Amino acid sequence: MSTLNQCARAQGIVGCQHCHTVTKLPKDIAENQCVRCPVCHAKLESRIAHSWGKTLALVLAATFMFIPANILPIMNVTYLGTGTPDTIIAGVMKLLKAEMWPLALIVFVASFVVPIMKIVVLFGLLITVKMKSQWRPVGRTRLFQITEFVGRWSMVDIFVLAILVALVQFGNLASVDAGLGALSFAAVVVLTMFAAHTFDQRLIWDAMND
Amino acid sequence: MREERDKQKAHLRVCGECDLLQKTPELQAGQLIRCVRCQSIIEKKRYHSLDRSLALVLTGLILFFLSNMFPLLTLKAQGVEFDTNLIASSIELLRIDRPFLAILVFVTTIVVPMFSLFGMLFVFMSVKMRWHNEYVGPIFRYLHNTQVWGMLEVFLLAIMVAGVKLADLAEVIPGISLYSFFALILVLATLGSTLSPDEIWDHEREAQL
Repeated sequence: MSTLNQCARAQGIVGCQHCHTVTKLPKDIAENQCVRCPVCHAKLESRIAHSWGKTLALVLAATFMFIPANILPIMNVTYLGTGTPDTIIAGVMKLLKAEMWPLALIVFVASFVVPIMKIVVLFGLLITVKMKSQWRPVGRTRLFQITEFVGRWSMVDIFVLAILVALVQFGNLASVDAGLGALSFAAVVVLTMFAAHTFDQRLIWDAMND
Repeated sequence: MREERDKQKAHLRVCGECDLLQKTPELQAGQLIRCVRCQSIIEKKRYHSLDRSLALVLTGLILFFLSNMFPLLTLKAQGVEFDTNLIASSIELLRIDRPFLAILVFVTTIVVPMFSLFGMLFVFMSVKMRWHNEYVGPIFRYLHNTQVWGMLEVFLLAIMVAGVKLADLAEVIPGISLYSFFALILVLATLGSTLSPDEIWDHEREAQL
């Protein structure tokens, strides 16, 4: 019989991440065999396979992409024939100069603070998991949940760009073009979202189970 | 014997966040259970979840089509007008040769929201009308998986930012669809707080096990 308030994996029990059905895994599963949830047919895994390595790869890729995302211009605003390329920070500065500081704050948080925070938190989680740290697991779980939820708001800059490109089409008078920075920035957002998706938060608790 | 086992299974839960096996009591509407170890919410039961969610999904579908029919924002400068809506903003990105950005915007503002609205309609109707079919489980699972990629509320914030940015350059006129789009965001947010997914899964478990 199973013991309550113990790690489920140690007892050969797995809870489906999607429909929460509790299933007892068969004892002899072959290497490449995969067990599916009887209710929602999702792949049943006690821990996401190679979660640590996959997440590390995605976070590293995101970190590298973050450099061109901030150096290269995110958009090119042509006004009266002269173009001014704008990086993310330059865009924020412009908003500040125009005394639109609530807007500047939103853009700064969504496109600078959030991606950095996401990358730092994911690195921190990867390191503490590898070290089998027992430091504040509840706090780390909460941190991960926030990271997972907040990342999508970084897309706001890409959407603003899309709207400006569609609206400002006055030829030489005024037009907006997307820079390579936008592409790199979009890659950062997508990569960190995938990284949060492949990270298995149950790993945080494995150090507590022994 | 089998019923006995199923009954036990229904009350046995594994926390999705910390993998702790625990026994949970039967929930009443308005209650929630937290994991005894990591304090994450394991299950929530809401009042009239299915009926309310179904009504909200239907409202959401109507509003989604309205939001796509008329312009969201119009920019007027020197007698020339340009307007945009959800689809136009991804198509315009194709015009300036940014296919990756265009696909990203298209997927997050059109494909995923539409799939999730139609998918929820199908799932809720199947459960409500007791149409037994094998698609409910996988579709509801996909909906849960792709949820974070539906970014309509982020797009609303972007509309506001773009509107303020352009205000000193030219005249910005809010389009008719902007109102329905705003309503759509409210409906989707309400939907998120009325739906209890476990009710759907309990129904599926009863049907399949």
